[in-house]
Amino acid sequence: MRGSTLLSECLAVLGKEFTAELRSRVALNAIGLFAVTTLVVVAYQIGPYKIAEQDRPHVLAALLWIILFFAATSGLSRVFVKEEDSHTAKTLRLAARPAAVFAGKYLFNLILLVALDAVIVPLYCALMGYAVSGVAGLVLVLASGAVALAATTTIVAAIIARASGSSTLFAILTMPLVLPLLVILIQGTRAAAGSGEIGVVLPALRGIVSLAGVTLITSVYLFPVVWHE
Amino acid sequence: MNRPMLKTLLPWLLCLWMLAVIAGAFFYAPSAAGFKGESARIVFFHVPQAWVAVLAFCVNLVASIRFLRGRDPLDDARAAAAARLGLVFSVLATVTGSLFARVMWGSFWNWDPREVSIAILLLIYAAYFALREAVPDEERRASLAAAYAVLAFVTMPFLVFVVPRIYWSLHPDTIIGATGQLKFQMESRMRQVFLASLVGFTGLFVWLYTLDVRLARVRMARSRGGEE
Repeated sequence: MRGSTLLSECLAVLGKEFTAELRSRVALNAIGLFAVTTLVVVAYQIGPYKIAEQDRPHVLAALLWIILFFAATSGLSRVFVKEEDSHTAKTLRLAARPAAVFAGKYLFNLILLVALDAVIVPLYCALMGYAVSGVAGLVLVLASGAVALAATTTIVAAIIARASGSSTLFAILTMPLVLPLLVILIQGTRAAAGSGEIGVVLPALRGIVSLAGVTLITSVYLFPVVWHE
Repeated sequence: MNRPMLKTLLPWLLCLWMLAVIAGAFFYAPSAAGFKGESARIVFFHVPQAWVAVLAFCVNLVASIRFLRGRDPLDDARAAAAARLGLVFSVLATVTGSLFARVMWGSFWNWDPREVSIAILLLIYAAYFALREAVPDEERRASLAAAYAVLAFVTMPFLVFVVPRIYWSLHPDTIIGATGQLKFQMESRMRQVFLASLVGFTGLFVWLYTLDVRLARVRMARSRGGEE
């Protein structure tokens, strides 16, 4: 890739991720099946009528993010773990700059999360009878949440791939880092569901965007250390 | 006074200081109004423990950054020592906070935002050690743990300052108020004991931290000697 720009290297890594994923579909299957199974169990056991009216805003927002988060943790670590498993990490280190590798893998995880949101959230609303007053606000919360969640999961995936590659370790390391984010996301989702005004989600959006920003910047600085270790 | 003598004297001075703090907390400082019974006296121990837990987190960050820059194994030992003590003081702050919650609000755990914050801090420390345990190679372990420590520190401001302000809290107002202003309204004798306790707990942390780092230094020297 001599003479290539950072952007072209990043897009090449992203393209490679898509090709590899479409060939094996490991992450897609893990995330998709986990999300659908959890959603079906929750909808079957709780459904739209088993939650008291006054508890619905709190419980439904929390359940939605529990499903999305745990589905995400089931597959997002694959981006780096598979490089170590298939012994391709060394080649990738020679082929692209660390920033391009991180950006390409981050974009891949982000696209996976957006696809997960696009499939699961409408299904969840339909199965759980979740009436959302502010659709635009919810879309903003989901989009910014995906940006922030992808940042944390990508750098933690890089760390665990260099450690033991275990998905248990991925969950252990990710959980404390994303808990503040999940709290703000649940708060934002509840606000969006309760009101059509875009202003109600702004406090949560500020928190999510700033958390996403600092995590992304820190990750870009830390990634070369983790990647070349 | 020469240095070795000072090193011997300081722990004894610290011991006397802490005994004075304990005596002051129970016999010198008056009871605070607005709290059940004598429960407010826990502030002389709970707040300094929480302060040391956060201080240890900051020391862990500085040592981790120093390791990433200089690759000195001693910096990794410093980071691990700070995290170990941070974990211990987080547990102590959680336990004393729970005892206070039981007396004041009738339950050991109320899912108050500040309780959640300290629980997440505990989880971060636990995850840090889980990561260290998972990597057998020393240099790789040090690098990955340092990277995780820096990443975890980034979420700290959100944990300590943002999340408790989103939700209504049972917790008595902190020294730094919600709008960032410095609040320090304590009766004079209470303030004296409180500040003495902060100094004492910080000294205790420094002493334990120094011991841990010295032990790590001896281990490193021994393993280098073994290799030669």
